[in-house]
Amino acid sequence: MRLSLYVEGDGWVHRLDPLTKVIIAVSAIALTFILTNLVANGAILFVSLALLTAAGALRRALPVFAGALLLALTFFIIQGLVYPGNRTVAVAAGPVALYREGLLVGLHLALRLYNILSATLIIVLVTHPTHLVEALVRRGLSPRFGYVLMAVLQIIPTMADQTKAIMDAQRSRGMETEGKLWTRIKAFIPLMGPLVTSSLISTEERALALEVRGFGDNARPTFLREEHIPGYGIVLRWIALAALVSGIVMRWGFGWL
Amino acid sequence: MAVIEVSELRYRYPNTEKLALDHISFSVEKGELVGIVGSNLSGKSTLCAAMVGLVPHFYKGAFGGSVTVSGMNVREHSVGEVSRKVGLVFQNPFTQITGAKLTVYEEVAFGLEHAGVPREEMPRRIDRALSTLGLADLAERSPFAVSGGQMQRLAIASVLAMEPEILVLDEPTSQLDPAGTSEVFRAILTLRSEGITVLIAEHKVERLAEVADRMLAIEKGRVVAFDAPARLFNRADLAEHGIAIPSVVSVCRSLGVSKEDGSLPLSVSDAAKLLESAHA
Amino acid sequence: MSDKEKRGNPWALRFTTLGIVLIPVAVGINYVGKLFASVLKLPLWLDSIGTILAGMLAGPWIGAISGAVNNAIFGITVDPISFWYLITSIAIGLVVGYFAFTGWVSNIGRAAVLGIIVGAVAAVVSTPINVILWQGQTGNVWGDALYTVLVGNNWPVWLASFLDEVVVDIPDKLASVIIGFLIFKALPNRLVGLFSGSGKDVESI
Repeated sequence: MRLSLYVEGDGWVHRLDPLTKVIIAVSAIALTFILTNLVANGAILFVSLALLTAAGALRRALPVFAGALLLALTFFIIQGLVYPGNRTVAVAAGPVALYREGLLVGLHLALRLYNILSATLIIVLVTHPTHLVEALVRRGLSPRFGYVLMAVLQIIPTMADQTKAIMDAQRSRGMETEGKLWTRIKAFIPLMGPLVTSSLISTEERALALEVRGFGDNARPTFLREEHIPGYGIVLRWIALAALVSGIVMRWGFGWL
Repeated sequence: MAVIEVSELRYRYPNTEKLALDHISFSVEKGELVGIVGSNLSGKSTLCAAMVGLVPHFYKGAFGGSVTVSGMNVREHSVGEVSRKVGLVFQNPFTQITGAKLTVYEEVAFGLEHAGVPREEMPRRIDRALSTLGLADLAERSPFAVSGGQMQRLAIASVLAMEPEILVLDEPTSQLDPAGTSEVFRAILTLRSEGITVLIAEHKVERLAEVADRMLAIEKGRVVAFDAPARLFNRADLAEHGIAIPSVVSVCRSLGVSKEDGSLPLSVSDAAKLLESAHA
Repeated sequence: MSDKEKRGNPWALRFTTLGIVLIPVAVGINYVGKLFASVLKLPLWLDSIGTILAGMLAGPWIGAISGAVNNAIFGITVDPISFWYLITSIAIGLVVGYFAFTGWVSNIGRAAVLGIIVGAVAAVVSTPINVILWQGQTGNVWGDALYTVLVGNNWPVWLASFLDEVVVDIPDKLASVIIGFLIFKALPNRLVGLFSGSGKDVESI
């Protein structure tokens, strides 16, 4: 199991350096909060989806989108039912009515949800986490923090594998993992306890091993790999930032969108 | 020229009363391979940690005397600084993998990056470390996708890339199977042949006796003996001090068979020859 | 008083290698908790036990960072929504770390009280996030059902949202803190002492 949704690829989106992708994603997310106009939000979504498609990552994005569908639906239903600004009935079935104002709010929230997801996925699906972390460390992020982020990505799959082994072992010892709620609750500690305790105890050994590799000094590191920022990457950064600034100006300067 | 100089070393862990290291003094010459033996709570690991400065900098506690390695007084330098001259390898191969790198090659680079080694230097050092430890074909694998013996060799390679003068190993084979153990001992001999000074704490006295120039025997934080294996294992009082003896030695002692100089044979082949000539 | 009670200034920065290494392990423990909870189909999330243990072992700052890293990483890898609840995890780490380090959490009863406090704090911190992001809904079935009923009866959105969140947070954090406490108590004293980082310098003898 790998803790990342990263999709391999070599297109122009993949070759963008991580920081550019972060700038694009952050601008998109910021805009989705700043701009309340539904068409504008739709446009942002369109751009994000276009980038994902250009990277060949759209298919991998679909399960994430599908997963959020239920949540989006609850936005429509709940806001349609009870949003405080409800006035005009849109759909009625007996005593239950969905109001237009609420439905529009629901639409807005759903668009926002999908915008956040798509923008985040531009980073997640098209950037290798280690490249992203390294890009940050190059620019001043503490190497210790860089270590933390990278180690999380590797330690979690390792612990996940161990959980499977533990469940099998405990079940074969006759531990009940199904049935009444109390039975299941009782099973939790014997499953968690040993794994958690041994992981915590191992932190001492891990720390020692890192110390003898010079980790404790926390000095500015050098890097094995070289960094490549393509020319069009810089252009895209400026476009994203310009879009963000125009969004701010249009919303709060002119009151549009 | 002594590359390790330990003088009246005393150490006590925080919140304890007894000294873990009790006035230890010894010195090691450049290029020597020294084995450290003793029972489980004798202080072997604490001594290894003191060679790099983990004792006292990591564990705090109370420290006295001096430890000088490659000309550095361990008390006055950070563990990171000392680690560029003295490498330390631990028992558990798994917890020595940083988890921050995706391939064996990059894993070896970790220490180099943190030490600020120039990028141009890195490939040469990494390639050399990997080939010395026989790991060159595994360079692109995930560091977790290798066997125990390979992982331990990776830990050694990672430390070796720093090009230390001294390598300390704290029970490096205790969590390995016999095949893994042989791999590690083979690697250690290769390193020794390249002129690196090696200190190994081990329980596997037989294997250690075969390769060590001298053996340091410790009990309760004190030095019991520091001598060539042949002379050391000749002593009759080792068992009282909790020091294990190679089976060959104790068998020959009970059979009353010894070499011309009075010492007992350390390897099965030597013992066999002696027994044959004794019957001739 | 045992070592576990007198542990030094809670607000000291314990950014030693040991404290740093604890962070990814804490995130891993959070993940494992969530995994076991879902396999056992428990009605709780149990996904903060690592953050809680980090706070208990190494204090509020490491606890807070563990929480932040947890949500940041999960947000970026598997669940983009959790990213936005970073602050809640930070709050949990801070509160647990502070109380644990002042030695206040000396028995299970006190751990239970801490669990309730943490649950309340988590709900308070999450509510503005819920309101800003999605009008106060939480995505949890029981909580949202309550929300719908309340807002339908003209309760203020923020209050309905708070109750939506609290109804799930308190049981969850109560269980998590108690479990964390039990595991913490079972750890070797020596290890706990190493994490506390007495801050004392090396004594000369």
